[in-house]
Amino acid sequence: MVQDFQDVWLVIPVFNEETVIADVLAHVLRTFPNVVCVDDGSSDGSAVRILGSGAHLLRHPINLGQGAALQTGLSYALARPGAEYFVTFDADGQHQVEDVVTMIGVLREKEADVVLGSRFLEAAHEVPPLKKLILRLIALLSRPSRTLGLTDTHNGLRAFNRAVAEKVDITQAGMAHASELVDFLARANVKVREVPVTIKYTEYSMSKGQSLLNGVNIIFDLALRRRG
Amino acid sequence: MIIKGLLILAAVLLFVFFLRRSHTARLQAFKRIGFTLFCLFGVIAVIQPDVMTWLANRVGVGRGTDLLLYILTVVFGFFSLNTYLRFKDTERRLTRLARAMAIRDAVPPAEAGSPGGRGVADEAAEGRGVALAQSGRGEGQGV
Repeated sequence: MVQDFQDVWLVIPVFNEETVIADVLAHVLRTFPNVVCVDDGSSDGSAVRILGSGAHLLRHPINLGQGAALQTGLSYALARPGAEYFVTFDADGQHQVEDVVTMIGVLREKEADVVLGSRFLEAAHEVPPLKKLILRLIALLSRPSRTLGLTDTHNGLRAFNRAVAEKVDITQAGMAHASELVDFLARANVKVREVPVTIKYTEYSMSKGQSLLNGVNIIFDLALRRRG
Repeated sequence: MIIKGLLILAAVLLFVFFLRRSHTARLQAFKRIGFTLFCLFGVIAVIQPDVMTWLANRVGVGRGTDLLLYILTVVFGFFSLNTYLRFKDTERRLTRLARAMAIRDAVPPAEAGSPGGRGVADEAAEGRGVALAQSGRGEGQGV
């Protein structure tokens, strides 16, 4: 069964992913024709790799953080003709294209406005125990995520329909954007659905991924964020 | 003691300031008035050091130097917060600027097989590099 994904846009924030980005893009582009990479001021050859790949390339002149990169890619994708569904995808190859297809399916069936990937819905795959603990703790501590009944707030794999994507406005430039998004979803009165996704923890993604200490940063950023 | 009330008031004001997070003209004016008063106070304290002790006794503090420390603490808190908010604001503007630049200079993928689509992106893909592609676009827009 060949599905048409012309109306789907993948947003991939890229920061110094020179070694893997070309492979990840080649793999993703086989299924999804529209991919926009936001190079967040990489100091390596990421941009050149993206140029030859068939993805759209946006470049932040300076490093601004993942949240800012996501918003930039989203703004760009929203302006493309025919764009209906928007997916955020990590550059390090830990997400699965099949999961994205499932998520788009949920959106197309209008079962939800937003679909979030979760590592914890089904039998926890290969999430390292300590990481699991921290992530679950963040999910539990955050009130909006409890309202929505979410199990995994810091998963980079998310899909939005157009109506929601237009309203998304990520102001947290750094890593706290994930919680900011959940916060927004809880207020925005949209149908949110979590689907189980598989995360491939390769040695590469482990070395690039957020350190556990970053959980402390996330909690601080959130505490300092504007209230009300 | 009066000093306790004053210090608590200062802390509350700082917190309110922190929550408001907006740079209105009124706030700006208050800040300037505060700064002027602080300078004036500094000059007086230098010329007439006894004033500090007198003032300290007024508000229930034993020594002038202690009062000075309290005032300094409050002022420092204010300035830290002010700087923090400024940075946040600047960061937000910078993000918007960078975003606008990134979107303006977007490089779409080379369109294989469409003869009309041979543009800047194609040349870039052939090895002219990103920087060249971007400056090329700039010229094209008549900069």
